Amino acid sequence: MTINPDTIVYFEWGWFKINATILFSWIVIFLLTFGSWLVTRKLTADGPLSRWQNLLEVLVITINNQIREVSRQEPGPYLPFVGTLFIYIAISNILAIVPGFNPPTSSLSTTAALAICVFIAVPAFGIGRQGMLQYLKQYIKPTFFMLPFNIIGELSRTLALAVRLYGNMMSGTVIVAILLTITPLIFPIIMQALGLLTGLIQAYIFAILAMVYIASASQVHKEIEKKGEK
Amino acid sequence: MIIDWYTIIFQIINFLILVFLLRHFLYGPIIKSMDEREQKILQREKTAEDRKKEAEEEILAYRHKNEELEETKEEIMASAHKEVEQEKNRLLDEARHDVDETRKRWQADLEREKETFINELRRRIGRQACLVARRCLSDLADARLEELTWSQFLKKLAGLPDEDRERLRSALADGEGRVTLHSAFATGEKQMKELKTALAELLPSRDDQMEVVARSEPDLICGLELESGGYRVAWNMDSYLQDVEEQILEELDQTISIEGDGTEDKGEVPENDRPAKEK
Repeated sequence: MTINPDTIVYFEWGWFKINATILFSWIVIFLLTFGSWLVTRKLTADGPLSRWQNLLEVLVITINNQIREVSRQEPGPYLPFVGTLFIYIAISNILAIVPGFNPPTSSLSTTAALAICVFIAVPAFGIGRQGMLQYLKQYIKPTFFMLPFNIIGELSRTLALAVRLYGNMMSGTVIVAILLTITPLIFPIIMQALGLLTGLIQAYIFAILAMVYIASASQVHKEIEKKGEK
Repeated sequence: MIIDWYTIIFQIINFLILVFLLRHFLYGPIIKSMDEREQKILQREKTAEDRKKEAEEEILAYRHKNEELEETKEEIMASAHKEVEQEKNRLLDEARHDVDETRKRWQADLEREKETFINELRRRIGRQACLVARRCLSDLADARLEELTWSQFLKKLAGLPDEDRERLRSALADGEGRVTLHSAFATGEKQMKELKTALAELLPSRDDQMEVVARSEPDLICGLELESGGYRVAWNMDSYLQDVEEQILEELDQTISIEGDGTEDKGEVPENDRPAKEK
């Protein structure tokens, strides 16, 4: 039984190899890009909207609203990163229902990669918003002694992000695989449906958590601003 | 080993590529179109607001204009009423004036007609009366009347005042001593002699140069007339008749004016004058 798509290698040339994770990621990326391009090439700002445009607008607006609620900031700069996280994970998880499709999110490599992206993005956004010094000061708050704990917290939450998503997605695949051996009929379908729900929820959780981390990194800036005003 | 660093790096790159692609193909255009739509809606709202404001202003302006119009209307109506009243009065006055004029003209015409008629009547009456008198007198004229007439004439001649005598004298001088006697009767020798004597008494200085010519004139009713160089001494019934005529006409005038006072306003010919017109 192969539960790790990384081990399924389709093409290998020297050190370059294409495994299932990479291939299916590409498929998802292609689908998303092509679909977006199809819809957005004929956008209308006026008059009746096409239903696909409407769908994408609803999606974007919803993501924007979520970002705004969590960060209490304008969603503009965060939208591409956080929105892509959500859409990518969600589409990957939903496509898991397609037979033969190995969701890239069920590979710890993918989730780790995404978590590393968040790990990098948090200080990147934080520094971008409030400057290097202010951002680094965050680690010695409330006291200098909290520095190691802060660093550990930073790392651990990245790990938690990766493992949470991976665990959930892998478990779904694993459960279905196990159930197939026990009750090969109807029951796995229910689990698949449940897997879809879990997948969406995980996508949401991942994106929201990423946003929370980023927001917490740039929140301080506001407090400083307030203090400065006083 | 469930973590494959090669795949992780590949996936990170993949994810970054996806972020870039979605940013380019999804968020950018969608956000842009939404912003555009929002802008358009805002603009439309603004336009609607502006138009509404404009419309409200227009409404106010029109209301104001309406009020003004109402006021002016009333003013115009009032002045029009006044003008109409004035025009009416003017026309009425004019009409009254015209009527008066017409009436006056009419009355004047009537008056003139009446006068003409009365004059005619007078003349006729006078003529008629004189005709009657003349006829009577000519019927009565006989030798005795002639004698009486003659003696009356001589008496008048003798009793001429000094002034008239002087005039007669100068007239005689102008007429080279020629005296014409117009008479209604045939003049006899005796009478001529008496006349000459009388003239000689009247004008003693001229009796030798005087030449008396007798001329018969039946129009002089029972009368005699002495004429010399434009001066005239006469005694005849005509003068009496003229007096009579004058008196009759005067009487008639009075009668007419008394009756006319009563009938003037009606502008009618007096009832009792009508048959007279037919005479």
